[in-house]
Amino acid sequence: MYLAPVLFIFIPILASLVVYLFKNKFATYMLFVSQLALFIIFFLYLRALQTSPELSLIVFGGWDERFAISFFNDRLSLILIGLTIFIMTMVLLYTFKTNQKEINFLFFLMFLQGIFLGLLQTNDLFNLFVFVELMTVIVTILIAYKKTNHSFTAAIYYLLLNAVGAIFFLIGIILIYYVYGSINIQYLIQNMNLHSDENLIKLAFVLMMSGISIKAAFFPLFTWLPRAHSVAQTSISALLSGLIVKGALYMFIRIYLEMFSKANYNMSEFFFYLGAITAILGVVFALSQNNLKQILAYHTVSQIGIILMGLASASELSYIGGLMHIFNHAFFKSLLFLGVGLVIYGYQTKKVYAIRGVFKSMPWTSILLIIGMLSITGAPLFNGFISKTLIKYDFKDDFFKMALFTVVNIGTVTSFIKFSQILYGPKVAVLKQNNLTQLISMSLLGIGCIFIGIFYISIGQLVFNTDLSYVKIFDVRQWIEYFTYIFIGMIIYVYVVKKDFKPFKILRELSVTFENANYMFILYMVFISLLMFFR
Amino acid sequence: MNPILSFIVILIGVFGLATSKNIIKSIFCVSIIEVGTILLFLNFGMYEGGSIPILNSIGIEIVDPLPQAIMITTIIIGSTITSLGLMLSVKIFHHYGSIEWKTVLKRDI
Repeated sequence: MYLAPVLFIFIPILASLVVYLFKNKFATYMLFVSQLALFIIFFLYLRALQTSPELSLIVFGGWDERFAISFFNDRLSLILIGLTIFIMTMVLLYTFKTNQKEINFLFFLMFLQGIFLGLLQTNDLFNLFVFVELMTVIVTILIAYKKTNHSFTAAIYYLLLNAVGAIFFLIGIILIYYVYGSINIQYLIQNMNLHSDENLIKLAFVLMMSGISIKAAFFPLFTWLPRAHSVAQTSISALLSGLIVKGALYMFIRIYLEMFSKANYNMSEFFFYLGAITAILGVVFALSQNNLKQILAYHTVSQIGIILMGLASASELSYIGGLMHIFNHAFFKSLLFLGVGLVIYGYQTKKVYAIRGVFKSMPWTSILLIIGMLSITGAPLFNGFISKTLIKYDFKDDFFKMALFTVVNIGTVTSFIKFSQILYGPKVAVLKQNNLTQLISMSLLGIGCIFIGIFYISIGQLVFNTDLSYVKIFDVRQWIEYFTYIFIGMIIYVYVVKKDFKPFKILRELSVTFENANYMFILYMVFISLLMFFR
Repeated sequence: MNPILSFIVILIGVFGLATSKNIIKSIFCVSIIEVGTILLFLNFGMYEGGSIPILNSIGIEIVDPLPQAIMITTIIIGSTITSLGLMLSVKIFHHYGSIEWKTVLKRDI
């Protein structure tokens, strides 16, 4: 079990190479063998870690720990590794039958999994950068895979913007190496307070945070995300919002919350309000869209804002809530994207107002879609409720912050009332794929949503090592609150959203050019530097 | 060499990103920033009179080997990004007949 972290990276890559070299229908089943092997190794590794904790760190080549390449696993990275293997298996199941002949697609998909598992485990800032750049390149290829004109545009927009972010991240790493003489993350976590008042380290902080903000799609920098989501294949959209964006949030946790935690920069308040603005703007944009995938993509932006609100809060439970929302969001947003993929295939259109009668025509898909919608809006008994309640813990007495959070909730509910209009109506003849594996993967995700929503206390003990009994799912006030949200959402939907006023049209047609995206990036950097240096 | 010089190179790249209206120019601005970054790091790793860090230089003063090892990887990544971007821009040119951001970035709503 000593080499388990290495196997996590190389099993998917070897499987992808087998698929690519043999170009054979039977070789593609190798992917499931490798997923099974990953699951087994993951559980064996977890058991081995309980008896011998020193397995969590491996150093390659026998060099001094501060300079060698090393892998380190703690609870955070193990949670995300489990999540990655699970979501990737579901996505593979979903996309396997339709893409079995697309050998290159499967190759890149599997390769991406290996890279992503590497990103989660590395204990070295430069390797983090390498994995991030590799991830960017592979995701670009996957976005462009449909080979339509829009997908090429979205791909190059994604590639260049993210490459700029990653390079600024690299400059931050260089400054840290110059001052500390090491880029080992654990070493830096222990020794960050030695030089954290120096201006170079403050500059490094600004540059690294700006780079991560592009990757994680925070407020002014999320312009690549809706573009990329709406043109990519369904499985890639699900993967992008389920996992790839979470990789950036993982970097946020590692670098801001762990590495710079001893530095006393007092940026938590800023990141909280950044999250709130991201969440509200995401919801407002989502309300204005008419394209099913665009609605879901902007909701990814708003959920990232909510996660950031939780992570930036001071108390432990809110942090756990943010972490758990990363987990839950991967479940329900993948479920929604995969379900919407079937609906779009069935009706051959992406317009909300052109699709009617999904419930009668595709009953099982629509039940799963309803589960996803209830989870994302935070209905009790579903997983979104648990993490949203935990995120609220830190600021439940602060009126202004609660008001912001409530606005986001009501907006989400309204937007999904608009989304759910596709379910009503008489039965229509639709194209069906008769694909059992797609339904199995979506059902497993849906069951996961309900399972986490009901057995959250034991999951909290097992996964997060925290007592989650603060959340009470049978509290009457919570139910009343949720139904009030639905009521207000209905009113807003009927009187505001459905009328499609002029501002909504303007927001819908808003398209940020690449130069303006870069201007916003520069302004964002300048703003953080002003906060850091002149306060 | 002064680190200020490499910061100037980086700033030229950033200026180009914010002003260029052409995809190929944007790609090369990204690689200009990358070149600035590499210069900056090599700058931090070297000092006057240091020898090259290879095995038989034991006993002699050598420059820091880690920045050089890291920068080789960065150069490879930079060339990957540039070539992928150029490939995509060729494809975009075939589809749109233009590589101006303005004509290319029309969304399907």
